[in-house]
Amino acid sequence: MTGTVPVVELAGAGVVGPFPLVSYLDALAQFLRPSTLAGVFVRGLSKAALYVMIASGLTLVFGLMGVLNFAHGSLTMVGAYLGGLVMVLSVTAATGTALRFGLFFVAVLVTFGGLVALESAVEVSLIRPLYDRPPIYQILLTFGVTLVLDELVRIVTQFYGLQPISEWQEALSTKPELLTETFRLGSTTVSALSLFEILFGVVTVAAVWTFLTRTRYGLVIRAGSEDSEMTEALGIDVRRVFATVFALGTGIAGVAGALLMWDPVWGASVPLAADTLLPAFVVVIVGGLGTFRGTVVAALLVGMVDAVTTWWFVNAVEFSGLPEIFIFLILVVTLVVRPQGLFGVAEVGGH
Amino acid sequence: MSLLQVDDIHTYYGESHILEGVSLSVAAGEVIALIGRNGVGKTTTLRSVLQLTAPRSGSITYRGEELVGKRTHEVAELGVGWIPEERRVFSQLSVAENVRVATPKGGDVDAALELAYETFPALSERRDADAGALSGGQQQMLAIARGLVGDNDVLLIDEPSEGLAPQIVADVAEAVQRAAEEATILLVEQNLPLAMDLADRFYLLDNGQVVEDGAATRGVTDDDRIRRYLSA
Amino acid sequence: MAISDPNPADEAAATPEDAVESDPTAVATPDTAWWRRYLEEHVAHVAVIALLAAYPLLHGALLASPVASEARMLLPNVETMTAVLYFGLFAMSFDFISGYTGYLSFGHAVFYGTGAYVVILAANGKLPLVPHTTPFMLLLLLGGVFAVLLALGIGVVSFRLTGVYFAMITLGFSQVAYVLVRDWGYLASSPRDGPFVVGPEGAMAPVFSVGVPFVDSLALDIGVLTGDSVVLGPLSLGTTEVSFYMVGIVVLVCYLLLQRVIHSPFGRVLIAIRENEERARAVGYDTFRYKLIAFAISGFFAAIAGGLFAGFRRSASPDNAFFFLVTGDALLASIIGGFGTLAGPLYGRLLDETIREFLSKEGTGGGLLPYLREVLPESILTVDIAGLTVQGAIETFLNGHGSLYLGLLFIGFVLFVPGGVLGYVRERLGGTVAQRVASRIRGGD
Repeated sequence: MTGTVPVVELAGAGVVGPFPLVSYLDALAQFLRPSTLAGVFVRGLSKAALYVMIASGLTLVFGLMGVLNFAHGSLTMVGAYLGGLVMVLSVTAATGTALRFGLFFVAVLVTFGGLVALESAVEVSLIRPLYDRPPIYQILLTFGVTLVLDELVRIVTQFYGLQPISEWQEALSTKPELLTETFRLGSTTVSALSLFEILFGVVTVAAVWTFLTRTRYGLVIRAGSEDSEMTEALGIDVRRVFATVFALGTGIAGVAGALLMWDPVWGASVPLAADTLLPAFVVVIVGGLGTFRGTVVAALLVGMVDAVTTWWFVNAVEFSGLPEIFIFLILVVTLVVRPQGLFGVAEVGGH
Repeated sequence: MSLLQVDDIHTYYGESHILEGVSLSVAAGEVIALIGRNGVGKTTTLRSVLQLTAPRSGSITYRGEELVGKRTHEVAELGVGWIPEERRVFSQLSVAENVRVATPKGGDVDAALELAYETFPALSERRDADAGALSGGQQQMLAIARGLVGDNDVLLIDEPSEGLAPQIVADVAEAVQRAAEEATILLVEQNLPLAMDLADRFYLLDNGQVVEDGAATRGVTDDDRIRRYLSA
Repeated sequence: MAISDPNPADEAAATPEDAVESDPTAVATPDTAWWRRYLEEHVAHVAVIALLAAYPLLHGALLASPVASEARMLLPNVETMTAVLYFGLFAMSFDFISGYTGYLSFGHAVFYGTGAYVVILAANGKLPLVPHTTPFMLLLLLGGVFAVLLALGIGVVSFRLTGVYFAMITLGFSQVAYVLVRDWGYLASSPRDGPFVVGPEGAMAPVFSVGVPFVDSLALDIGVLTGDSVVLGPLSLGTTEVSFYMVGIVVLVCYLLLQRVIHSPFGRVLIAIRENEERARAVGYDTFRYKLIAFAISGFFAAIAGGLFAGFRRSASPDNAFFFLVTGDALLASIIGGFGTLAGPLYGRLLDETIREFLSKEGTGGGLLPYLREVLPESILTVDIAGLTVQGAIETFLNGHGSLYLGLLFIGFVLFVPGGVLGYVRERLGGTVAQRVASRIRGGD
């Protein structure tokens, strides 16, 4: 889940010498160089882009029905495999860069559609019968769906001779040559993949934002997130809206999965489900349950902290869990200091 | 024939029996006040009509159609509007968006906005502000406007004067009167003189039952029996 | 999130006082044969304990009988049953806080992991001031004490929150612990794989014995390879069987203690908190303190369970002790067995482990595939259906994929039996099993 590929090489800083304080100060000096900061910033943005894509579906679903969807990570994982499947089936070694990008967009569409269909089936058959029960039952149900989905994917991948716990290399190798390159940015380097991910994140945020603020459906979703009973009393079938939101949110998660399939730090694998679920929870809670704005800001925060701590781990601190620890500490500290999250409304989710 | 007919409904919250056989009838064009102490079931009566808290037994008909068993949005679509306690405007939506979301699907949004601003000019000035930033009185106007633009024939208004300063209460009373020109009203109101001013008839609730009803006059305010029911 | 009790009536009626009141003869002669009354009230418990105690012998006898293959296929082996016991205790401790107070402790694995790691680290001489020869029973308690301190620390911060927020903050704490344990080189030579019991450098790895500390004759060693075996007259118990009994005794004692707490006035306050916390507070209970103490108790027993797990397996890893999916397994057991029923999670775990073993990949200790290999002729196993042999189909869709069927079962329970196995049985009987059996015996209703 966290980048352990050292991109910035800093001579000598990776070794913790006999005087750790000196070496930390040394590392701090390195870190504060504008070029280092710029590189970390771009990597932070690319992580934030991934986090916002993973988390936005989750936050929409929670906002409307108070259902914390445990299956969200698994659906992202299914998206990664689905996207990978389209690519692996259609791309050959001879496929050119432009065509690969084109096929990727096809894969994104297929993944989106496939997950919307999958989720609708789950919603109609399993979640709908539980609407009259407290939200805990819907949450438990999504937990069960996770078990089933993960195991089904394991069965399918093993059947086709893939290792479910390690990244799907064939899918990784459908990535166009262009995205494996790194650019110089001042005195630091940035991978083209990071820029591609940032682009995707920006497009996703813009699309969701436009949907929420410029369409009647979006308006209804925002109203329903704040007070679903009142919205219902205005003549709106909130459950039907919820079904749509659930489907859309899942579609976005699937698209995020398709993108992760190309990222060597993540890749398509069954453990991707848990690896994406946990940071998605963090982003959604930190931003405030049910607020999209909060989710965007929280994704930026978590992405930046992830990038900064990853830099420190690579260059100065000998503890590979550093970024993850910090991500969960953000969660804990936020809940202690401001339980409703950065932009949340106090009452949501308490009961 | 009455527009809204409530017949012997029993409503529970969990195991607690709140309404123990409430019956009342509202004719088209009337303003009916529902009065009584805190916790006797006034709000629950309104929630029962809307099926937000569905009665376990009894019947509620609207234009002869049974409401019990319907979902809340279906009741609302039939033309029953709710202006709840504490107003419940969507605080993170702008004033205009609050009106917009209350406009029925496929309805004329511009006409709805015009109606809202015309009825309540104060809202017009704040159309782009977040509803959460409005004063209590303005929020109450917005809540009523939401009920008006929803093409409703009956408005269930719950405690519109609660928590407002006296001079604002007068504004709100005026707002309710304007709403009464458009729709039939079932009004829950703690402020007895205000309720009697606004209403044509009243029902007095105690312990989940209707114990008294009659024409709403100033005289009711001085009636000893009624005052005894209302004193804590 | 308010976790509604699937059958709210039974808890209040489950107190011993009520059982006495419902029995006129007992009220008339309150001081006669209290022990008899006690036994009557616990007939159901005694029966379950007897059945569990007889299990290794029954299992052994069945394996020597004509239905040996069927028994091997269907029944979990004794090693698995041992795992059912200690993990069942963990699931009970999870249920104790989550099912009874309604606060979903989604980071409960941190206590289980703490108990497990304390035992192994102490045995490896890695806990400062704790000699590696410290008796296992004391290590269990030590792990429990650590967990209590941890629970108080986490609880003080977390119980200001409710619902999803509480679940998430406990998850956050436990994941911080997970990452620390996973990447801290001091704990094990390969912290990602977790520590094994190897003893301190230059010393023998200690054996773990359950019983009275420092009294050899009143303790038996546990572990499949390191445990004691016992010959009692005609009975001969192997290391696995001895471990099963010794772990079982600890789990039983813990269960009875937890049950005492649940049926005490303290326990009733916990249930009141679940039903309506504001009312409990309005009546004058300091609910924060009750929740905190309940959390500490729950953490203590989770750590005991973790210690038993580590003592029996002689190893632990971040993924099977600290990861959030370990809590997920406890949740699974609780829902299937019966949320808020204390004993239920044990049955839930039994079902869980039985299915997993039945569909196990290796087929060690029985399961479906070895049985079919034994019974079906080769020709049927290799029949080709749409490019897949029967054996291939079983290996693809069934074996090693117990999680799939458990997930389906779990979904089924959430949809149709929200009270779980025990909740359903209680609903049917109209009270707790122990209570109904007792009243049957007395000729009551």
